[in-house]
Amino acid sequence: MADDEQPSDSSLLVIIVDTNPNQRYITEDPKVLTGCLDAVIAFANSHLMQKSRNQLAVIGCHFHKSEYLYPSPGKPLDVRQIDGQYELFTLVEKTIKMRLVNLVKSQPLDEKPGESLLAGALAMALCFIARMRREATPGLKTSSRILIVTGSSDTAAQYINYMNVFFTAQKQQVLIDVCSLDKHLSLLQQGCDITGGLYLKVPSLEGLLQYLLWVFLPEASERTKLVLPGRGRVDYRAACFCHRELLTIGYVCSVCLSVFCKFSPICTTCHTVFKIGGPLPIKPKKKRMKV
Amino acid sequence: MADDEQDPKEYRWETGYEKTWEAIKEDEDGLVEGLVAQFAQKAARKTIAQKRGPVRLGMMRHLLVAVDCSEAMNSQDLKPSRFICTLKLLEKFVEEFFDQNPLSQLSIIAMKNKRAEKITELSGNVRKHIKSVQGLTNMALTGEPSLQNTLELAGRVLRPLPGHASRELLVLFASLTSCDPGDINTSIQALKTDGIRCSVIGLAAEVRICKKLCQDTGGEYNVVLDDVHYRSLLLEHTSPPPRARSLDAGLVKMGFPHSAPPTTQSDASANADPPITVCMCHLEEGEGVGGEGHFCPQCRSKYCSLPAQCRTCGLTLASAPHLARSYHHLFPVEPYEEIPNDGQAQYCFGCLRSFTDLDKQIYQCKRCHSHYCWECEGVVGTTLHVCPGCASRPHLYQRLPDAS
Ligand SMILES: [Zn+2]
Ligand SMILES: [Zn+2]
Ligand SMILES: [Zn+2]
Ligand SMILES: [Zn+2]
Ligand SMILES: [Zn+2]
Repeated sequence: MADDEQPSDSSLLVIIVDTNPNQRYITEDPKVLTGCLDAVIAFANSHLMQKSRNQLAVIGCHFHKSEYLYPSPGKPLDVRQIDGQYELFTLVEKTIKMRLVNLVKSQPLDEKPGESLLAGALAMALCFIARMRREATPGLKTSSRILIVTGSSDTAAQYINYMNVFFTAQKQQVLIDVCSLDKHLSLLQQGCDITGGLYLKVPSLEGLLQYLLWVFLPEASERTKLVLPGRGRVDYRAACFCHRELLTIGYVCSVCLSVFCKFSPICTTCHTVFKIGGPLPIKPKKKRMKV
Repeated sequence: MADDEQDPKEYRWETGYEKTWEAIKEDEDGLVEGLVAQFAQKAARKTIAQKRGPVRLGMMRHLLVAVDCSEAMNSQDLKPSRFICTLKLLEKFVEEFFDQNPLSQLSIIAMKNKRAEKITELSGNVRKHIKSVQGLTNMALTGEPSLQNTLELAGRVLRPLPGHASRELLVLFASLTSCDPGDINTSIQALKTDGIRCSVIGLAAEVRICKKLCQDTGGEYNVVLDDVHYRSLLLEHTSPPPRARSLDAGLVKMGFPHSAPPTTQSDASANADPPITVCMCHLEEGEGVGGEGHFCPQCRSKYCSLPAQCRTCGLTLASAPHLARSYHHLFPVEPYEEIPNDGQAQYCFGCLRSFTDLDKQIYQCKRCHSHYCWECEGVVGTTLHVCPGCASRPHLYQRLPDAS
């Protein structure tokens, strides 16, 4: 978008880490989560290292709620330099790990883990980005993006929340990047396409850090010069509200734009009663043109 | 809606004498900083609050924008001139209109020399409209406009449209007179019976017939104060109007094309089709041969951009995000509750900003009980349309009626 052409003075990255315990790679081997988290932290620190003005936030998305893992609200943790490591890096790592433990501990024991509510975490990220823009030094060019690292699958249940979030991101020129650890995510891929971000399903978890650094570290202005995974074909069929199935031809309520796969006399979303006599006539067919 | 005739205090000078300075009170330390911050917040929030309209909306909008191109547009009370200022704002308007009403159509009309002329046909093609608006810059502004001829033209264009579509006319009117061939009242009545909503933005002063037109047809009438006011008045028309009573609801058959035809071997028609295809929207210009496109699922005509109406079979073609862009009208976020800041929360759930003494009021979602700063409250209500707290809680995130 507008930021594409010129390099920015600073870049703000919000990473959303899916920590839901029902992701397949975690249920198979719980220790892998630690490995993935280390990769994300290393990636986050690489981002901070690129420019001194770069900013970072990390949000943990658990099944019962989402929370900021970094920065911590209020006072930052007290960290001392360890082994000559840059204090900021220690702070990032310590804060994320400590707050993640708290997040996991707060999960209700009597509830079965459900879907990861990534749309909510995205909404938080957009609020954070809006705040950083308000507080930014005037005249400084800042580009913002969000990276989602998830091994969950996506369902149509969060459809409306996703779409609202995607279009807000598009309007505010925030890129949404998605790094899928397991399944193909068609809804999130639409988000990447709408906002101009990148979508990648990593072939193996061992090389996660490499993928993150190669594909997702460059900011928008640098990406045009690199060879990165292509957009691929995005499926933009609508899902009907009645069965959540993808359609090529459907019926749309003119009042509320709900999509249905069959004609019905009443809209189940807005309760409008339609005139009887079947769907509205469309223009009479002219002779079929073939080119 | 049309009965607002007697809104009591329409003009500032009709209201009572206000001692505005008495509203300013110092706090215990003799400072007004907190109060100033509160005023700023109130002003910012007021503009937001007005934007929240009713939920039922006419979303497939058909809007004619009639631009006064008469001598009166030469006046330089708007900079650089009324006409140039109008064109600049209109460009912005076209973009915003399609952003907010993706399945809608627009047409631009020029009013000059007692005639009303169509500049662009009713269509959803943003580029075409913007090009035409830019092309108007060098037009000679002559003669008087005719309001009645404009209304007649609007009637002719909008009347044949199906009943489920909203039919609207917006007139940008600078002249104080109108040169009409007959009785304009009959034209107004005809528009009223057909449920065509007419609004006028006056660039000079209030004109009685314009006010009557808007009142009778359920539209809005405003007169601009300056260019900033003009801009906000014009952009207000991008948000859908309250649904007119006369509108027929309907189920519209719609196609959702794939970006390319299926390439599976089993699909015989895909193999039979030649690889070179011509885009239907560029037939006249002779462009758009080959390349990627969207194929009508009914007749397989190709289109280079969506939304479009299939020229061959009439099917409305859209992609799912086109529809989804409007869903926030359908499932709006419930407004947050304004509560005094008594230290209930240390920081805003959305942006993590710590609450300070300057935050006299904070905001709370009634569903998820998260606390927000006033800035986030604005962001959520006007652009995001998702409560971050609700959207990340398993029992609250869904706002759709259940599938069962
Ligand atoms: Zn269905
Ligand atoms: Zn409906
Ligand atoms: Zn067709
Ligand atoms: Zn906030
Ligand atoms: Zn809420």
